Amino acid sequence: MDTLVLNVSHISKSIKKKEIIKDISFQLRKGEVLGFLGPNGAGKSTTLRMLVGLSRPSAGTISICGHSIRDDYVKAMAHVGCIIEGPDLYDYMSGYKNLELLGSMSKHVTQAAIDQAVTLVGMENRIHDKVRIYSMGMKQRIGLAQALIHKPDLLILDEPTNGLDPQGIHEFREIVKSLAKDTGISVLISSHLISEVQLMCDRVCIINNGMIVQDGTVTDMLSTGEIVWVLNDPIKGQKILSENFNLASLLNEHNELIAAIDLKVLPQINATFITAGLELHTVYAKNKTLEDLFLSVTNQRTIQ
Amino acid sequence: MLILIRNEVTKLLLKKKLILIIGLLIIFITLLSYGQQYTYEKNIDRFENFSGAGTYDWKSLATQRLNDLENRLDSPYIPDSGIASTEIEIRQLRYFIENDINPITPSAVKFSVDFVEQGISLLIPLIIVILAADLVSGEFSTGTIKVLLTRAVPRWKILLSKLIALILMTTLVVLIIGILSVLISYLFFRQWGFNEPVATGFSLIDGQLNADSVILVTRFQYSLLIYSLTWYVSIVIAAITLLISILVENTATAIGVLMAALIGGQFLQFFLSDWAIVKFFFVTNLDLTRYLTGSYQPIGGMSLNFSIITLGLWGLLSLMIGFMVFNRKDVLV
Repeated sequence: MDTLVLNVSHISKSIKKKEIIKDISFQLRKGEVLGFLGPNGAGKSTTLRMLVGLSRPSAGTISICGHSIRDDYVKAMAHVGCIIEGPDLYDYMSGYKNLELLGSMSKHVTQAAIDQAVTLVGMENRIHDKVRIYSMGMKQRIGLAQALIHKPDLLILDEPTNGLDPQGIHEFREIVKSLAKDTGISVLISSHLISEVQLMCDRVCIINNGMIVQDGTVTDMLSTGEIVWVLNDPIKGQKILSENFNLASLLNEHNELIAAIDLKVLPQINATFITAGLELHTVYAKNKTLEDLFLSVTNQRTIQ
Repeated sequence: MLILIRNEVTKLLLKKKLILIIGLLIIFITLLSYGQQYTYEKNIDRFENFSGAGTYDWKSLATQRLNDLENRLDSPYIPDSGIASTEIEIRQLRYFIENDINPITPSAVKFSVDFVEQGISLLIPLIIVILAADLVSGEFSTGTIKVLLTRAVPRWKILLSKLIALILMTTLVVLIIGILSVLISYLFFRQWGFNEPVATGFSLIDGQLNADSVILVTRFQYSLLIYSLTWYVSIVIAAITLLISILVENTATAIGVLMAALIGGQFLQFFLSDWAIVKFFFVTNLDLTRYLTGSYQPIGGMSLNFSIITLGLWGLLSLMIGFMVFNRKDVLV
């Protein structure tokens, strides 16, 4: 499949005989933004480190744009840009010098490409200052520019918004979103911040204890198939549901009627309510929050 | 590859280590050459007061010694083994008298040679450690190793570029030591001394100092020899430092380990010189220049060739292990 930018197949990793990653597989297509969500210590960072060649999987294969990272390291890495845990730069140089130096290590990185990356992250005015005096947000921008100068097909961001203020997080998110939309770059973001993933990603992998416990689109994962009715007489509604449609239902603390139904019968149910003389105030589909989902699949506190 | 080496050199230069090293050297050399000049003047003063003569007339003393030696050479009773060394001393004395140079006057080149001879087993290795200890470990402690190793460049190339940059900088540092020590000490001594004759090539045969192979060279040629040995020692130290820098991932620890090895090694040599295995430790073999005076043998069985080979093996082994470890290492910072 030519649109497969990243193919991770059955990778495991043991460090000091402790199995940290257990048989993880997932794919990433062109232009897709995938969130890697998991509590601290779940193995997000370890997995991403293996994807960018900083660490070797004990078993399994990783290929980027069709090149195996083990057998064809240089070709595979030419397609990747990454920030792994914070923007690490040479603080005794200027931001520009950092980009120049790192850019010179890839083929065909021109002056123009560097300038373009600098403009993209909005650092034109301070780019010639020493990194030592940059704020965290500025370093993060240069970190992103550093990952983009060689125009990669895959951008890997490990906890990219750690240490940023809300304003910084917002700007960072906008940059990544527009990148994915405009340039078709695939993005893999790991985070333990649920809202961040919900706002940025098309797809989410929830990882816990070194295993992927959920993999799917955000919308699919959140839908529960439950419908909520706000009625003037919910008890009567409940009776109608069980008598006419043979459906179990319950009332929540706000006296709203909730039932899991097939959406095809919803118009019919609503019509029955109205003909029975009930006042139908609101009907809506109940969604789990990503937080609920996250907590329900990762509900264990001890680090194994 | 050239770009990678240029990058590494840039990093080394921007870290301003070189300025620190030059600063240290200037302080040391100034103090030492001032001290030497001071001691020299004190000695002459003392000699003049002691002998009661108004001035210190080295020339007549030297001429007297020259005549003695020439008479001895004419004597039929002189043993064959003494002829060579006597002839050499005569030629040295003649040079000094003809050129009107007092043989014990300090000169810039002589100082420069003395300086590295004294520094070769501790000071110069320490300077190289300052230069090299954070080459890899520094990238780990700042986390920059992650941006460095996630480029489309294989790891061995990155380490090789670091090694080449380090060799270049080490060479530069040895050159700087030479130039600074000559220039600064000249300010005190006012005497270059490039052409002074020096006897070298003594060897130890069956415990006897053998002068058969002694040759006279100018002090400039001699200093080239001494500096080549210093350079060799520095490169070996640089290779070992690079290995430690890869292994410990922390600059302070790397410097600590190497200082302990350098200082502990001197202790080892001092206390355990009967124990044959000590002679295979790299620190014991650093003092290459002292072999040139002939009588030096810190531990039985050691010679210039032995030490050069031992150091070479240490350097090569360090590089091999360094490349292997660096290539396989999991980066977890």
